[in-house]
Amino acid sequence: MLLGRLLAKTPTRRELRSPAWFADYTLAAAAITVACMGVAMNYAATWRSLSFEGADPLTVARRQAIFVLIGIAVMVAAAVVDYRVLRHCATPAYLAVLLALAALLRWGPEIRNARSWFELPFVGFQVQPSEFAKLAVIVSLAAFVAHHEGYLRFDTLFNAGLLLAVPMFLIYSQPDLGTMLVFVAIAMGMLLVAGAQLRHIVIVSLAGILALVLVFSIDALQGPRLLSETQRGRLTAFLDQDYEPQKASYNLRQSQIAIGAGGVWGQGWKQGTQTNLDLVPEQHNDFIFTALGEEFGLVGATLLLALYAYIVVRIWLIARAASDPFGRLLGVGVLSMLLFQVFQNIGMTIGIMPITGIPLPLMSHGGSGTLTTFAAIGIVISIGSRRYAL
Amino acid sequence: MDEQVRRRMAFLGIVMVGLFGALFTRLWYLQVLETDQYAVAAESNQVRIIITPPTRGRILDRHGVVLADNVRTGVVTFDQSSYTDADAETLLIELADLLDVEVAQLRRGLADQRSHPLAPKIVATGLDEQGLLRVAERSIAGVEAKWDWVRVYPQNEVGAHIVGYVGAMSERQHRELIDDGYLPYERVGRAGIEGLFETELHGEPGRTKLEVDRRNRVQQILADVPPRPGHDIVLSIDVELQAAVESYLRQGLIASRKTVSGDSGFFFPALTGAAVVLDVRNGDVLAMASHPTFDPTWMVEGLSIAEYQSVFENPYAPGALNNRAVQGTYSPGSVFKPVTALAGLEAGLIAPRAAYHDIGYYSIPESRGCTGRCTFFNSDRAALGTVDLSAALTRSSDAYFYKVADDLYWVDGPEQWAIQDMARELGFGSPTGVQLPFEKSGRVPDGDVKKFLFEANPDAYNPYNEPVRWFPGDNINTGIGQGFVAVTPLQLANAYATIANGGTRFSPNIVETVVSRDSDTFGEAVLTFEPRVLDVVDFPDGTAVVREGLSNVTSLRLRGTAGKAFDGYDHEGYRVSGKTGTAQAQGLNAVLRRKKEDSAVFVAWAPTHDPRYAVAVVMEEAGFGGEAAAPVARRILEAVRAYEQRWPEPQIAFVPPQPECPEVPEALRGDPAFMGYVPQGCPWGVQIPRANTPGDADGDGIPDVDQLDDRFDNALGAATLPRRREGVS
Repeated sequence: MLLGRLLAKTPTRRELRSPAWFADYTLAAAAITVACMGVAMNYAATWRSLSFEGADPLTVARRQAIFVLIGIAVMVAAAVVDYRVLRHCATPAYLAVLLALAALLRWGPEIRNARSWFELPFVGFQVQPSEFAKLAVIVSLAAFVAHHEGYLRFDTLFNAGLLLAVPMFLIYSQPDLGTMLVFVAIAMGMLLVAGAQLRHIVIVSLAGILALVLVFSIDALQGPRLLSETQRGRLTAFLDQDYEPQKASYNLRQSQIAIGAGGVWGQGWKQGTQTNLDLVPEQHNDFIFTALGEEFGLVGATLLLALYAYIVVRIWLIARAASDPFGRLLGVGVLSMLLFQVFQNIGMTIGIMPITGIPLPLMSHGGSGTLTTFAAIGIVISIGSRRYAL
Repeated sequence: MDEQVRRRMAFLGIVMVGLFGALFTRLWYLQVLETDQYAVAAESNQVRIIITPPTRGRILDRHGVVLADNVRTGVVTFDQSSYTDADAETLLIELADLLDVEVAQLRRGLADQRSHPLAPKIVATGLDEQGLLRVAERSIAGVEAKWDWVRVYPQNEVGAHIVGYVGAMSERQHRELIDDGYLPYERVGRAGIEGLFETELHGEPGRTKLEVDRRNRVQQILADVPPRPGHDIVLSIDVELQAAVESYLRQGLIASRKTVSGDSGFFFPALTGAAVVLDVRNGDVLAMASHPTFDPTWMVEGLSIAEYQSVFENPYAPGALNNRAVQGTYSPGSVFKPVTALAGLEAGLIAPRAAYHDIGYYSIPESRGCTGRCTFFNSDRAALGTVDLSAALTRSSDAYFYKVADDLYWVDGPEQWAIQDMARELGFGSPTGVQLPFEKSGRVPDGDVKKFLFEANPDAYNPYNEPVRWFPGDNINTGIGQGFVAVTPLQLANAYATIANGGTRFSPNIVETVVSRDSDTFGEAVLTFEPRVLDVVDFPDGTAVVREGLSNVTSLRLRGTAGKAFDGYDHEGYRVSGKTGTAQAQGLNAVLRRKKEDSAVFVAWAPTHDPRYAVAVVMEEAGFGGEAAAPVARRILEAVRAYEQRWPEPQIAFVPPQPECPEVPEALRGDPAFMGYVPQGCPWGVQIPRANTPGDADGDGIPDVDQLDDRFDNALGAATLPRRREGVS
């Protein structure tokens, strides 16, 4: 009855139909499912140590649940708003983010050797501007490339690089190497699709690899120290898994033990010994995947991978089907961001990537990251629902 | 959307598939293929096992005097493996300041060479609670301050060779014992009873299984098995007797050093010796001394290299750690003669009362044909005149036993090796089986042994490469305990105990019981060593004459070789049978670089007619057995007698055996010529006196046999002596 009335009201022409008709609800559902798993795993990773310290075991999970609820609201809002509006917000958003990042270096408190967070007074939350910067840069880059009508000459490519370089440098100065790498991934994905010429891509990639090698070895060549001890240790530990087992390789080894011990079916909910005994550090943050891998095994991990794959594939399809280059580039930016973060984060817990402080989207504990990811997915849904719009 | 963008989107899609594929592949590898390995790692990750060492069992003497005990003391251990030498040095200086001791003392503990180089070393002991707290509150990495049990030996050097000592684990022990739950710095038994009964003494370590998190905070206790304390070991020795024996042995050696050797004109070196006291009735070792000796306490605390050398590589105290009573092999010399005598009797070659004229030497008769050395002289070429078997033993006639050994050599048949057979029957040539490590078996030489020795070491034995045969001379040398014969002092004592008790050869026990100290079986014997009979020797007729000869050795009147040493001794109260020996030692004294002096040997049992204790004394390079060793044995026997009075045994009512008695015609009753045909205890024959009646000096209900012997001698001669087989009471 209701459906009939809806159908009767629906225009026959797709351009004229409400965007809600074409919105990708399964993408939203997949994102919300992952976020719920994230809340559950946040609980699994922290309940034992919290109750051991005499605190409410739900503390961390409850915070994450609040973030997720806010995130869902943000996603819905972003999906309802026409994404083309963002094109006009690109410049102020970019500048605001730059300002915030610069202010962070000056006034940000130093937490765990990095100035990445603003303390919000009274609320007890922290805000991580670099997370929002990812979104702002995706939007600005998409706007910039769309402004050049999807074709990049070498000089425009250079300008695009400059646009990326400023926030990247600010984030590098925090220092937060991981988030900086996310920007590199976003840039590579977007510039690839934006129509940069292949030889330019090759040149830039070679220059990037050269720069990476230089950064890693400049210390040995009597140059300035560009990598911190921690980063150097993590890279060495990645290349040599027996390096400093109590320090640099500790995380890597413990997270692999946790995941490996999970086996096919896992140890069971709240049964993981590595998780319960707090043997994997930062487990509710960057190493949340180990909790899932230990307690739900290959089955749980594959389910999560499948959900991520579904999200990424849906974004890919939406980007392909986008009605304009701006929408397509936005989609590709979000795709690159999520793909890189998922691969890098899970890859580091299972030992195929070096350890960097990148959260697992929608799973790791943290408000800024969760909100950003939900907002990004909301934007993608908005793109998808307006693929036929004029 | 143009073709280029479509291609690049497709490329992006391929990258997506590739990345997810890589993640899934790696997950498959970790969670399916390698999951067992990681499951084990996760298990060991979360569980810490804390090992609590058990308290070590004590070692007690037969009356409960503690020879080895534990005291609780604060110790500081230092694990230097994580420090450079310079850092360790500064840390030691800091520790020394903290503990108010010399740095050198700590350095000494750290430099203890005999433990595993990477194991934590005990650098300081004897701390009180304050000292422990001072160290603990500094929480220096690698330094631990805790209560620990430390081994103490309250009797110090008394019984040191028997008790042994504990010390740091050697590298090999470290490898083997760590798996059994030993802690790296734990002291383990290294010698003697401590070493041999390490498993019993150590006990079972307690294991506490803890679940811990990343910061090593204990989450829960999974299992808690308390340690099981080690068993106590009760020895058969008596500490006071042991101390007396050690002291008399030392005094005897010192006295010998003040005596000039007739051979060389130098003072006797008399550096080393051993003495054993056995209970002939059950084979218990009552005392076992070895000189030079040491204090096991030195070994627990660990010695510096210089101290170790000064004590254990001192040329004037050679081999202080060796228990010479079981590890030293010596030529027995004349104390071997009873073996030859018994062999001769067994082969039927000796008429015990037959007269032999000792002219000071013995020549192998021409008729037998002689190669090489044919004439063998008495030790000082003294002609002893007419002797029978008894007197030959009493006065130690070499010529008599040269003749016996030579006669035996020419016997065609199994009796040819009668000396060797009798020696083996009495336990020579094989370990006695006492509960002490590294016991030597000695050597009973025959043709095969000689051949083996000559082939093994031709330079020493056979420099001119002569054909190896067993010559009459070899048998003759063996017959008086020279040549290739090698025995341990314990074997000597045990052989004489066998002769004394009528033929029962025991495997000596030095451990009586192993007693549990576990709470639910406290005080129960885990292991009891009953008297272990190895063999029952069937002695030939005429053995009484051998015993008679030995019993006269201590008699001055009968010119026994130990007569002077036992001058003024209470023969009536505690008569001693024994034999002196003066063994020529081969080779050079390593320190003095001159020919070795003779070793003094004396083996005895007492009381003669109710044998209870056998004593063997061996003193290397100390002179004549009768002059050096016999006085030591005399004082030991006096100490044994005092020991018996300290610990009187409950009187056991003596039930005389009831023999089958022949009916004796009244006319013949009381005829001394007839009495020998009536078994003991029968009416009309020899009457068994009641206790404390004349003829029973020791009051045990057994008549004094020597007085019977006198009567028999008067009546019949010795050939019809009844054999005493009930010697074991």
